[in-house]
Amino acid sequence: MRGRFVLIAALVLAPLVAPVSPAGPRFYNDDPIPREPETRDAAGAAPLGIDLFYEYAYNLFVTARRKPTNTRALNVNTIDEVPDSSWFTNRVGASPMSAQQIARGPNSDAKPAPEQWVILREKTSGTNPGFTVKDGNGQTWFLQFDPPEYPGASTADVQIATKVFWALGYNQVETFITTFDPRRVVIDPTATKRRLSGERTPFTRDDMQVVLERAARTNDGTYRASVGRLLEGKVLGNFRYAGTRPDDPNDLVPHEHRRELRALRVFGAWMNLVDLKAGNTLDELVAANGHSVIRHYLQDVGSSLGMANDYGVWDQGWEYFYDGPAMRKRLLSFGFDLSPWQTVPYVEYPSVGRFEGERFDPTTWKPQTPTTAYMNLDADDAFWAARRVAAFSDELIRAAVHEGQFSDPAAERHLAAVLMQRRDRIAQAYLPAINPVVDPKLSPDGTLVFENAAVAAGVAEAPTAYSTTWSWFDNATGATRPIGAAESATTSVAAPGWSRDGGQFVEIDIACASDAHPSWQQPVRAYFRRTSAGWKLVGLERPAAPLTASAPAKRGAEK
Amino acid sequence: MTRPAAVVVTVMLAAGTAPTAQEQAVAPEQAVRQEIAVAAELTVPLEPQDQQAGSRAGLIEQDQARKAASLTAAKPTKVEAYVTRVYDAFLGGQMHWHAFFQNAYSGGGFTIGAGYLLFVSPSNTLDIRGSITPSGYKRIEAEFIAPGLFGRRATFSAIGGWREATQVGFYGFGMTSTVDARANYSFQQPYGSATIEVRPTRKLFLVRGGLEFTQWKQGPGSGEEPSIETKYTPETLPGLGAQPVYLHTTATVGVDSRAAVGYARSGGLYAATFHDFADPDKTHGFQQVDYEAIQHIPLVREAWVVSLHGLLQTSYSKAGQQIPFFMMPSIGGGSDLRAYASWRLRDLNSLLLQAEWRVIANRFLDMAVFYDTGRVAPRLDALKLNDLKNDAGLGFRFHGPLTTPLRLELAKGSDGFGFVIAASHAF
Repeated sequence: MRGRFVLIAALVLAPLVAPVSPAGPRFYNDDPIPREPETRDAAGAAPLGIDLFYEYAYNLFVTARRKPTNTRALNVNTIDEVPDSSWFTNRVGASPMSAQQIARGPNSDAKPAPEQWVILREKTSGTNPGFTVKDGNGQTWFLQFDPPEYPGASTADVQIATKVFWALGYNQVETFITTFDPRRVVIDPTATKRRLSGERTPFTRDDMQVVLERAARTNDGTYRASVGRLLEGKVLGNFRYAGTRPDDPNDLVPHEHRRELRALRVFGAWMNLVDLKAGNTLDELVAANGHSVIRHYLQDVGSSLGMANDYGVWDQGWEYFYDGPAMRKRLLSFGFDLSPWQTVPYVEYPSVGRFEGERFDPTTWKPQTPTTAYMNLDADDAFWAARRVAAFSDELIRAAVHEGQFSDPAAERHLAAVLMQRRDRIAQAYLPAINPVVDPKLSPDGTLVFENAAVAAGVAEAPTAYSTTWSWFDNATGATRPIGAAESATTSVAAPGWSRDGGQFVEIDIACASDAHPSWQQPVRAYFRRTSAGWKLVGLERPAAPLTASAPAKRGAEK
Repeated sequence: MTRPAAVVVTVMLAAGTAPTAQEQAVAPEQAVRQEIAVAAELTVPLEPQDQQAGSRAGLIEQDQARKAASLTAAKPTKVEAYVTRVYDAFLGGQMHWHAFFQNAYSGGGFTIGAGYLLFVSPSNTLDIRGSITPSGYKRIEAEFIAPGLFGRRATFSAIGGWREATQVGFYGFGMTSTVDARANYSFQQPYGSATIEVRPTRKLFLVRGGLEFTQWKQGPGSGEEPSIETKYTPETLPGLGAQPVYLHTTATVGVDSRAAVGYARSGGLYAATFHDFADPDKTHGFQQVDYEAIQHIPLVREAWVVSLHGLLQTSYSKAGQQIPFFMMPSIGGGSDLRAYASWRLRDLNSLLLQAEWRVIANRFLDMAVFYDTGRVAPRLDALKLNDLKNDAGLGFRFHGPLTTPLRLELAKGSDGFGFVIAASHAF
């Protein structure tokens, strides 16, 4: 408790007592950095996995009880953006993305050669049946099938989710949909299977049959499968959603304070990626820039789009695996106080899991178990994430869904429509929650233009006015000299009393007058540096706010 | 609250500045401490060397260089390492010792026991186990199980052991018996059996056959109630004092669509089992047929599951032989008439009907409101649905996807309350 007090006090006092002058300039010449440097060799890092039961228990009974620390994401650059790194690459929303690009996703041209599969061993994780195999070209793949109840669904899910999470910026494994013909399968002579005794014994045809009995078979006797390519490099186990790797010199920011990991709460909600556990991640040691670095993957994003719902009935995304309040409510009401997911009118297709957008509320969405990063999502993290989700046009969504190779066009259309509906829900929930001014630009003649992300996404009415306060900023001391104030009814504001040689940095506070959104009056502060090419945005501070559950009905009415 | 960019930058750098081993620890429980340390850095200026970096990338490089000089191995916490060891032992077949809560005979009371399971081949197991209760019920046995025979269509099991029950209740025959009429008897029983269960299509259809060789050595009972021989004679109670040897053969046919026997929320079992108890002395031989139906009906996406169970048992004595009282069908106990003592009702035929309204609290806990009813009768045509004994109650079940390790229930019937603690499902 005392520690929490120290934390809060420090955060409150920080802006007041943390002058920049003794420490050096506020902005360096390379600000904002577009990429986190990774300068040290991580070759000494050793594999470390995470135990499934431990992670579940810890997250359900310890992490879930934690309050958000209200610590701002620590890996953002000076303009409040996540720079590229071994974790994340800015893609959708950062630059135009075509339907062809998202359809290709992380894949290379080297597709699997399904003429003959060689089974190397059984699949040891995940619920869908599968194997580790080599294809006709000798490439190693992790192969998995659809369950018999949902033919085409799991394989489509993996494809679509891989494309989407790749577009969102995460490292993804190359995945393809292919065919598995058991009549042309060879079992590698060294292939083994772990038996109940723990002993590994030779893999047999019957072992293959056991797996195939749990898979959806097509009419011609083959099986539709999803394959993920074996990554190059050395596998180092899983990354954790808290702390840093002590054996990685480049890993400086506690993972719970990495914005892109916190943002999985928003992205996960959109895709219903319920299995957010660390066990579904992968650290891989790879060569880059002449030394070894650790690249971090979301390895398994296949528990998305309603395909992780257990027993075919319980809908995940509404509750943790253990959720005390929901459990007590059901017990005390003898089950008559129905949980939301028990009354959702799903539109069901065999090739689509239970996935809907009508009752979806991103602010109350829950994965199977929470992570520390999930618990630390801040309003500005959510805003950042929502912008990326909103950047998915209908065309991009349709292109990603098309990669699921559905045999039923109606199922494909339905899934795309639900994703669009959930995208809009996310935009409604998070974009208007804090001052949504984005992308400020200052022209040489002193005209400031910017966008209102909530208005642009169609989830809020434009404010009645934008008010700006301009100051010259001393980058060495942090001192400011007022220039003046200006108002505009549009997102273009002329500088008040502009003097071209007033300084090298200008600081502009931008607030919005909106009765519907009082929080917009908290200004976004932008810093521009004078360069030979004009004014360059070097700093952006968005007012922070605790993350709160929204009222979907109200949001809907507003829209 | 607006947080200046400089603060943001400082936070980022401070997080990576000369991390101590504690700061670097990957354990989630240390995250809050880490954050406090980071926040504290907000109030102090940057190190002088940071000023010399001249670029943001340079600052970060300095921090990475500092960390590179003090790297430590990534290790799980002690708790995680312990959990991992236990988990691996379970999955790796290395966890030989296990708890065993099955007592020698129903009504024995709270049971403690243990077993030692070992794999005699990659899939086949031998389990040696024993249990005991405060009232002296004892059981020791060894069971061999070979699953996956005939292309995973059959499971063979062989079991041999010995058990003793010291104070089994007998209340008299029929529906008019009373609690006060209880007399106790005991028995010791060596047994050996072999069973093979075949599912020709690997699911749904079920055929089971078994052969058991056993002896029931019935004797006086202990406990607070009178011993049985003080209230009955061999003339008034068939089989009193008998020690029959049986060659017991069984055959079952049925349809089983449940996901698992030990826990299910949907599907059902419809089966008939024929028993032949052959007595080499041709004194106590008889036959029995059990008809059983179970159906689980999930409602409103498993907001509830209605579970129904019916069991009809009917026994026939062989010509010139009589069925010992202790071998006759009976109801009463923790899995059937739950407010009634074990073996509370006995006769040549029995009918049990159970219904449960199960509330699925979460993936691991169910609550159930239940109603049990049943009766016994000397003739099959007397098993009518009137004058039944019944009870109702409330229960909680802690379960996994396939098993029910703990069941707690309180039931109320005409005999009073019954409290059930069981390590198995009700039906």
